[in-house]
Amino acid sequence: MRLALAIASFVVLIVHGVVFYDQFFHRWEQHQTAYFEQARSLSKNAGERAELEARAPRIEQIIVTSFGDTHVDRCTTCHMAADDPRFAGHAQPLKAHPYSAAMGDVLRNGNWERRHKFSDFGCTVCHDGQGRGLDNFHSHGEDEFWPEPLLGYVTQPNWRKDFEPHLKGKEYMEANCAQCHTGEDFAGTPNVNRGRKLFYAMNCYGCHKIDGMSEGTLGPDLTEVGKKFKIDYLWESIVEPRANLATSFMPKFNLSDADIRALVIFLKSRRGVNFAETTLDRYKAHIANVAVVIPPGTAGEKAGEQLIADRACTACHKLRDRDGGVAPDLSYEGLIRDDAWLMDHFKSPRARIPDSIMPTFRFPEEDFTRMSAYLETLKTPPAPASPAAAYHELCERCHGEKGDGNGKVAWYIDPSPRDFTKAAFMNSKPRERFVASIQSGVPGTSMPPWGHALKDDQVNAVLDYVLQTFTKEPRRELKPHKAPQQNPVASDAPSIARGESIFLERCTGCHGRKADGKGPNSLDILPHPRNLRNSWFVDKVSDNRLFDSILYGVQGTAMPPWIDYGLSQENVGDIVNFIRSLNPKSTRSQYARN
Amino acid sequence: MTTDTEDRKAEAGVWGALRQLPANVWSSVFRNPLPSTDLERASTSFTNFFLHIHPVKVHKNTLRPAYTLGLGLISLFLFLILIVTGVLLMFYYVPSTTQAYDRMLDLRGTVAFGIFLRNMHRWSAHAMVGVVFLHMCRVFLTGAYKKPREFNWVIGVVLLLATLFLSFTGYLLPWDQLAFWAITVGTSIAGYAPLVGKQMQFVLLGDTTVGQEALLRFYVLHVAVLPAVLVLLIAIHFWRIRKDGGLSRPEPSAPPAKPVVKVRMELQKKIYGLQGFVRGPFTKVGNVPDDSVYSWPNLLMAELFVFVLTVSVILVVSLAFSAPLEQPVNVMHPPNPAKAPWYFLGLQEMVSYSAFWGGIGIPTVFALLLLLAPYIDRNPKGVGRWFARERLLANTIFLTLAVLNVIFIIIGTFFRGPNWTFVSPF
Amino acid sequence: MAVVSKSLDKEQDMPSRRVFSWLASMGLFGSAALAAVSDWLFFKPRVTYGPSARFAIGKPDDFPPGTRISRDVERVCIVREGNRLAAISTTCTHLGCIVGISDTGFSCPCHGSRYDQDGTVTGGPAPKPLPWFKVTLAPNGEIEVDKNAQVDPGTYFNV
Repeated sequence: MRLALAIASFVVLIVHGVVFYDQFFHRWEQHQTAYFEQARSLSKNAGERAELEARAPRIEQIIVTSFGDTHVDRCTTCHMAADDPRFAGHAQPLKAHPYSAAMGDVLRNGNWERRHKFSDFGCTVCHDGQGRGLDNFHSHGEDEFWPEPLLGYVTQPNWRKDFEPHLKGKEYMEANCAQCHTGEDFAGTPNVNRGRKLFYAMNCYGCHKIDGMSEGTLGPDLTEVGKKFKIDYLWESIVEPRANLATSFMPKFNLSDADIRALVIFLKSRRGVNFAETTLDRYKAHIANVAVVIPPGTAGEKAGEQLIADRACTACHKLRDRDGGVAPDLSYEGLIRDDAWLMDHFKSPRARIPDSIMPTFRFPEEDFTRMSAYLETLKTPPAPASPAAAYHELCERCHGEKGDGNGKVAWYIDPSPRDFTKAAFMNSKPRERFVASIQSGVPGTSMPPWGHALKDDQVNAVLDYVLQTFTKEPRRELKPHKAPQQNPVASDAPSIARGESIFLERCTGCHGRKADGKGPNSLDILPHPRNLRNSWFVDKVSDNRLFDSILYGVQGTAMPPWIDYGLSQENVGDIVNFIRSLNPKSTRSQYARN
Repeated sequence: MTTDTEDRKAEAGVWGALRQLPANVWSSVFRNPLPSTDLERASTSFTNFFLHIHPVKVHKNTLRPAYTLGLGLISLFLFLILIVTGVLLMFYYVPSTTQAYDRMLDLRGTVAFGIFLRNMHRWSAHAMVGVVFLHMCRVFLTGAYKKPREFNWVIGVVLLLATLFLSFTGYLLPWDQLAFWAITVGTSIAGYAPLVGKQMQFVLLGDTTVGQEALLRFYVLHVAVLPAVLVLLIAIHFWRIRKDGGLSRPEPSAPPAKPVVKVRMELQKKIYGLQGFVRGPFTKVGNVPDDSVYSWPNLLMAELFVFVLTVSVILVVSLAFSAPLEQPVNVMHPPNPAKAPWYFLGLQEMVSYSAFWGGIGIPTVFALLLLLAPYIDRNPKGVGRWFARERLLANTIFLTLAVLNVIFIIIGTFFRGPNWTFVSPF
Repeated sequence: MAVVSKSLDKEQDMPSRRVFSWLASMGLFGSAALAAVSDWLFFKPRVTYGPSARFAIGKPDDFPPGTRISRDVERVCIVREGNRLAAISTTCTHLGCIVGISDTGFSCPCHGSRYDQDGTVTGGPAPKPLPWFKVTLAPNGEIEVDKNAQVDPGTYFNV
């Protein structure tokens, strides 16, 4: 035991020694001594040299309180030469901080004068990083737990490797310039300015709110997004909108890297605080409007055209030569939608298509009228040479080039475009239904009445093309189903109550407790369960079809034949009454034309 | 200090006094020589303030490392390390929601030895929770809670709970995400208690949610109230050990030959009057079976050894591993999953099955079982030996529950991921 | 005695035991000594959070020749004579009030201490003259005053 005691005591002594040693000879002391030596050799007078000789390393700090929190910046402990112009050409950390006219520095009598004095600003208010740290790892913010790494210089180890090359660059610091310099065209923050323009041009403002800039409510509020998140998260949110929330319907916009960088820098500058702003300024910004200027005297339609361009509708929609790749093609809008539909849709897209993700823009009524008027002028029907060309021009955008319902914009449309390759479905419905769908559209969905753009024979030709090319499997004779033409059960309160209880028992797993198609199983099913509150749709579906779908299921989808699970016709009658009770019959027809 | 009387007479007055000053000062402080005879060894226990907590003689079994594993001593020394490092840290820490995290950064970055002291404090704290638990296991498995030691066991269980509470209150002080959400989870479990749960939570936190009030209350509890409670209870715990006749030990294999002992005692023993009045089976001098040794130097050396061992392990661990400091508190951003401190993860795992039973019900039952163990198990056999056959049932029950708790902690630590779903740690 | 104690066998005098004891006590006392020194280093703060003792006060041109400009926040008075600069403390050496500039030098409003232009005491209860601080020119062209470094009164800095 004595041996062990002796050894342990010695271990204690050695560890004490190591710890003791560890607390001296810090890296920053070495940097400081190096600075003293180099400054001595650069010095021009003996007094100064003597002083430098006598100087001992010590912690240097700048304490700044004018920016909200107390900033304690110890950067100059290593970066001793930051304010010493003689060290302009030296290597870091003993390099002088550059002067430039862009930063407001002034050249006077051959000497630069710094506009943003370190004693007033410190370092971290512009550069981020951890002011209190005294070693590289912590002070530069390489510690993944530090919320503010050195902007544009440092990436943290838990950031995605494929983003790293994009996240470095001094221009990221512009985000911090914008904390005070909020002017829209401030010369020192070109990326912030570009990002701001993109915020409007790509229609981000429609879904996202930023205090003083926009009112969108569909996406998260971005007023303080720069304070909450690091730049890797911001980058990821733009290039992979579903990376952090699988159910996000934010479109994956087609942006160049330079654009994304500008947007990230702009968003990083949104910290909710503007140090140069008074409270009154902030309040005023809050109630500002986003206004588009139309030269007076412009004709309604021309004005509408300009509005559509300025309001960046093509950030999502397709029109002429611009295509956002997220929403339907507007090129034939005058043919397939009437003014009433367009006005309703503008004021609230969900008034016509209940599951649309198009934001509700709060433009003045007059703007809507003009835009509607312009869209109504788009009346030139397509001139397809063949059914294949017609499909390519009109149908492929949603239904996909393989006809599998995976078109360019399919992800953003709810209900999803039909998958024609599902032979089980296609061959279980009468041809008349498909013809009707094409000609008259499917109300409450994005399927428009193409009958106004295509003649009857063209419609049939396209349908044949679809069936042959995509469905492939030939139709087989179907066994007739026993479904009544009209609901035999009277629609009274007890029936609706019974229907509701059966619905809650059987149907909510897919169709949801609110019958909106958002049940817990719905995320895994394609096509999604029907939104039974889509009145436009439900009102146009006959009782016969409802009975058929419920009793015998819908082949090619997840809707099972409930007759096999014990539902009788009376049960179904109650359910149908319940569903109808959710959807009061609208008196206005889907379209007033023809 | 045998100064020649004649010399003293010769150097009269102040000058003589000054020359003899060092010797006189020393001998006025240390009035007793370093022991070289048995009498002197015995007298160390009552001539020195710090040493008089020890008995004069201690049973050999007490000093056997394989018997106690030194766990009680290790707990005590860890507690001492915690007090010293804790007080030092108090010179730089501020219990304010706006300043606490920055102060932690400074302790890590600028304060001399700050990072090392913090590491020592944190690892000693975690170690103390573990060692105190193991100490309890040792005492149970050697049956050392039986009569007359029942109340000491109860004090021990209360000490365990106080240690857990100390660790819990200290956990919040760095005021980073790890601390904040762990305490949010832990205090929410407390809120599940019936009737008084919500009140208790409110009083504990000083508010409805964890904030400045909670930080202040936890700080006061951690640096003042609970250490005082612990010191008091430890003092009573040690007092009780003395009064119970020292640590438990197995019955002697051969009963002492009584007449022989008596004769010896009469002829050769000096009876220390006061000690004759003390009750208890083993404190009568000379009536002790021939199995005890003097505290000085045996017990003291053993204690020194355990102390140096504890300190060296803590030092090495503190040198090698840094205590965590995560992001500053963000009340809008709970981590997923949010885990309580490791010693409460067993509870949190149980809570994920049932809030009341897992968080309040079962732990209360466990605590009550522990507290009442010596009063439920009145079998006097099997004391002083590990895993005594006579105590198979008690030992099995205890071990099962202890191991279960450990398993739950392991599951909670490694096998639970976001949304508390099962994940593989590999 | 019935009980044999386990004592230090000084009679046996095994050298290894001596060595071990020596090592153990060296280890422990050495650590204790190191710990004591470490404690002192620990307690001496390496940073404080108040205003810095060394600060810049502006360019030489901000102080025209022949002026005496007092800065209350920093508690210093900058004196420029010709091309020489000095920084005199404006904290009264009596009980710490801020002295004001008077025609004859400085005067303290609290208990009536009087100083001349150079800070020497000319009247009142002040026990010591006003200290002069070291003035240097920083590399970026600004004047720096260091309140932690005192210079003899009459020591000027040439710009």
